[in-house]
Amino acid sequence: MASYAVADRRWIERGVERTSTLRFALWLVPWALLLALGVYAAGLCLRFGLNQTNMDNRFPFGLWIFLDLSIIALGAGAFFTGFLVYILKFKELKAVLNTAVVVGFICYSGAVGILMIDVGQPLRAWFTFWHPNTHSMLTEVTFCITCYLVVLLFEYIPVLLRNRQLRRVPSFLIFEHRLHLLVPVLAAVGTLLSFFHQGSLGGLYGVLRGRPFAFREGIAIWPSTFFLFILSAIAAGPSFLLLITSLVEKVTGRKLVEFSVLCRLGRISGLLTAVYVAAKAVDTLAWLNRTSPSLGFAPWEFYSYKPFGTWLMLAEIVLFGLVPAVLLLHPKTASRRGWLISAALLVCGGILLNRFILTVQTLALPTLAFDEFVSYLPSWQEVASFGAVVAYGVIVYSLSYRYLPLFPQEKREGYRVSGR
Amino acid sequence: MFPGVDGFHWTFGHVVFLGLFFAVALTIFTTVVRAVWRSVEDFRSRRATAICWDLEFAGMPEAERCCRHELAGRVAERTCPNSFDCRRCAEYEKFAALPASSPATSFGLDYPAGRLYHRGHTWVRPESDGTYTIGLDDLASHLVGKPDSVELPEPGAAIDANGTAWTLRKGRNEVRVRAPIDGTVVETGGADRGWYLRVRPEGEPNLRHLLQGPEVTAWLSKELERLQIQLGAPDAAPSLADGGILMDGLMDAMPQADWDNALASTFLE
Repeated sequence: MASYAVADRRWIERGVERTSTLRFALWLVPWALLLALGVYAAGLCLRFGLNQTNMDNRFPFGLWIFLDLSIIALGAGAFFTGFLVYILKFKELKAVLNTAVVVGFICYSGAVGILMIDVGQPLRAWFTFWHPNTHSMLTEVTFCITCYLVVLLFEYIPVLLRNRQLRRVPSFLIFEHRLHLLVPVLAAVGTLLSFFHQGSLGGLYGVLRGRPFAFREGIAIWPSTFFLFILSAIAAGPSFLLLITSLVEKVTGRKLVEFSVLCRLGRISGLLTAVYVAAKAVDTLAWLNRTSPSLGFAPWEFYSYKPFGTWLMLAEIVLFGLVPAVLLLHPKTASRRGWLISAALLVCGGILLNRFILTVQTLALPTLAFDEFVSYLPSWQEVASFGAVVAYGVIVYSLSYRYLPLFPQEKREGYRVSGR
Repeated sequence: MFPGVDGFHWTFGHVVFLGLFFAVALTIFTTVVRAVWRSVEDFRSRRATAICWDLEFAGMPEAERCCRHELAGRVAERTCPNSFDCRRCAEYEKFAALPASSPATSFGLDYPAGRLYHRGHTWVRPESDGTYTIGLDDLASHLVGKPDSVELPEPGAAIDANGTAWTLRKGRNEVRVRAPIDGTVVETGGADRGWYLRVRPEGEPNLRHLLQGPEVTAWLSKELERLQIQLGAPDAAPSLADGGILMDGLMDAMPQADWDNALASTFLE
């Protein structure tokens, strides 16, 4: 074991402390088991088809789509941080740029992975590119997510090549340097792609005329949900990054970034959440008073099916929207770690709730006279695949944190011990 | 996706959508190809070693990037902004003119005055035939002792200053020894011969980046202090033994020490 530990230490950045090889291996074991179970469940779905899930023609979007929408929104921190650093020149956010890239890469690759199971016949997935239906929001989502995953891969590669052993290979180091110099171009492309696919994911629900609970009016071809999804994603991205960084600091017991960086992330998230809450409130009022009645539905009927009462709408807008926005913008609460983290948790929780409502509640509600309220509970295969994506994320992030320079400040802090 | 493929329509929306997609895909592709192309160009034009060194230098802790003039006591505190390459330092002349202060001892180590020293613990000695002999300095030799294996470049191979000159292996540790000067290898030696390479530079080399005179003992003092901290027990307060000289084969004598870190600092990894 000692020789493994020595070999392992050689891959870890100088000047940073990491837990022992044994402890790290023990940490990975349960996640690896969860990943293995999920891969087995995914294998069942691919082998026997989507009858392994509890989805059907009446309920075609389930846990997986909820997961996709959620992690794509939470992963927005990657493109938005890149946009803030490279385009708007928010230099202090460089401290969390690498971790944002890794989180984004995990989120998007996880989402694409689960989509490959969800499409039912992954061998025909290329049809969507070869025979695109350009009138479909999903086509735009597919194109943009695929392109953006490639962008994230090329943003992740420089971080990967900065590993202590890999950068000893001159060609790796030179390529990392050259690619790093061009990352602003990739950041700009990523921003464009992300705006469109985040929006189109929301637009997907907004154009559902047959689902008046989700249908929205908007501008030109874009329903209001298109803009709300963009806003909510860029509001939640920085909060998720704040949470991940704080969580890693807590778990490892090390200071990874200055507290001011977390405060800045909180302020950005708070401001955007406030704008989102205002837009969401206007959109909800417009839907309640105009859109839904014009389609022949009394909007309050949609809230008469338990457990989806009006409390859910109020919770989404007030508890998970207005409250964290105020907490993140008020100087007193925004400067206290406890409040900051609680508010970020609420913002991220709000995103999950919003994606849950749009996916599950929309499909559960009856829309035709002979239709019934439908309950949906995911099968174990769906839950296990969901767990596999979470496990994959934890494993990739843990490995990246251990072997890659995710937080440049950590190295400087480590060196200060033996500094002059 | 393309004209002639089922599903393609010559409509405004279709063409705009696919046009945007291809523009984005082309931008990503061009960016990556450009990075690869520039990397190849760096190797072709022999800039690669200098770029690698600059990048590695930037990643070194600030304490290890201390300017030679700070070591020599000419300035109070200065971090080198030129990757230890004084040949491109605009302020070199200004600082070099100031009086230096340095310890009177070389701590029992052999640092002959006729040699020039690189911060990666190699020495350079000009020979009468226009070649330069390169060896491992006494501190590095004391640390490593007898290496398990040495990988030297073949005669005729080109080495670049601050690039890898040769590689040493000792136990589980692999050390890249940095070249102090540019040149072509004309002869190889080894630990037993007291020198490792003899190189012939192109033209008259500028050796301004190498340490000499009082700077050497000042640098040595700093290096010994760093080693004491790095090789000491993690919870021990830094202390300096009074008297005594560094024993030979320190790596063999202290197998449990954090050699990974100490060797990396010593050889500028």
